[in-house]
Amino acid sequence: MSYQIADEPHESSLSAYACKPDAPLLAMMMCGSWLAWPWFIFNSIALGSPTKRKEIGLCLLAVGGTFVLGWVVLELLAAGFITIGAPFKLCVLAISAWKLTIAYWVSTIQARTFHVYEYYGGTVKNSAAVISAGWYLADIVFSISDDPLWIIIVTGGPL
Amino acid sequence: MNDDRHVEVLLEQAGTQRRLGNWRTAIELCQRALALDPDHAHAHAALAFSLLGARRVSGALIEARLALAMDGNDTYCHYAMAAALEADRKLDEAWTHCMVVLESDTTDVDARVLGARIRHHRNERKEAIELLREALELEPSHVDTLSTLARFEMEAKDLASASEHIEQALRADPSDLEAHVVAGLIELVKGDTDAAERHARYVLGQDSTDRNGLELWAAIKARRSWILGLWWRFNVFISLRSETGQIALLIGGFIAIRVAIILLVAIDLFGPAKFLSYGWLAFCAYTWFAPEIFRWMLNNDLGTVKLDPNF
Repeated sequence: MSYQIADEPHESSLSAYACKPDAPLLAMMMCGSWLAWPWFIFNSIALGSPTKRKEIGLCLLAVGGTFVLGWVVLELLAAGFITIGAPFKLCVLAISAWKLTIAYWVSTIQARTFHVYEYYGGTVKNSAAVISAGWYLADIVFSISDDPLWIIIVTGGPL
Repeated sequence: MNDDRHVEVLLEQAGTQRRLGNWRTAIELCQRALALDPDHAHAHAALAFSLLGARRVSGALIEARLALAMDGNDTYCHYAMAAALEADRKLDEAWTHCMVVLESDTTDVDARVLGARIRHHRNERKEAIELLREALELEPSHVDTLSTLARFEMEAKDLASASEHIEQALRADPSDLEAHVVAGLIELVKGDTDAAERHARYVLGQDSTDRNGLELWAAIKARRSWILGLWWRFNVFISLRSETGQIALLIGGFIAIRVAIILLVAIDLFGPAKFLSYGWLAFCAYTWFAPEIFRWMLNNDLGTVKLDPNF
């Protein structure tokens, strides 16, 4: 019998698929949030993260917040309060910054569990194949809908 | 042996392992003690210290909070809380707990060293050095005090005093790994990378997983490679901040670059906008790949690290 420390990951049947929290963050930048948020959630479960609820909550907050911000920006555009040039780009930048901030935040929280997971010899999956596949699939995902709100929600960050 | 006695024995063993730097064993011993008595405040505090040694700051914070919740008047629990908060860069709160320890025991040298670290991080350098001098008066050959003082003096560019104090520390305990790390850093600042490497080799020869030793080794590599040196400086600059500060800095940089690009395009300055855009891309790629190259180089080097018999 041993005492369970609060930062220790729990047993997970998906631990063979756990990867570094940097990988979903890179996916956010290279492929889009359509891949990053589900990956963050999956990784949280695979790592057996004790802060799983917080991480999943943040991902859902990010999607919900992006939806609301995107809708507001498009309504302002439709009502003529902002124009399609630089003002619109600055508004979209604010949405990208929102997504990136939460992605960094989730990645930072998940990294704490990951360090403990690695400390106890947990296996780490190479994520290059997922990111490469995401890179090729991104255009297909973006073209699923013509709605600009869809594009705002599924695109990623700074690259 | 009854459970109470067994818990005390386990905590004593954990303390010994902690002094030897065997954090994993220390953590396991504390866990065993807590399995016997989950409400033992000292065991939670001891576990917090062991977790801090293994750099598991979030776990240490939780354990220190548990210890304080169980015995809010115990100075050891306040000490653990101060140490955990200092590691998490919550300096004002850390200082409050450290004050409790300093006021209740005016001869506690370790608490003075911790207090000095907290004040140093709060940019109260004079007060930090004062606390260390008080600690030295209480125990003139306390290695941790001497190493910390040498480190602060090195950061203040007072290399003569730093060298003098680190020599005293190494005379007091020639096998102290932290003292060797500080000695290596001082040599590095003086520009003698070979001398710094000898200290790093000693540390990694004793314990190839010593984080401070690895950081010294990385700093030496960075000094010898211009391109990796840039990443190292960027990394140190970033890591001096709290996690929130790091995120704010990175996102702030991203927004500033993007706003500049949007405004440059709006006034038809496409050339500078493109330059900034590619510059940002190059910066992202560099910060992504540099640490990987760094790790690869370190792993290669660590395979060849041998303890110098003449050192």
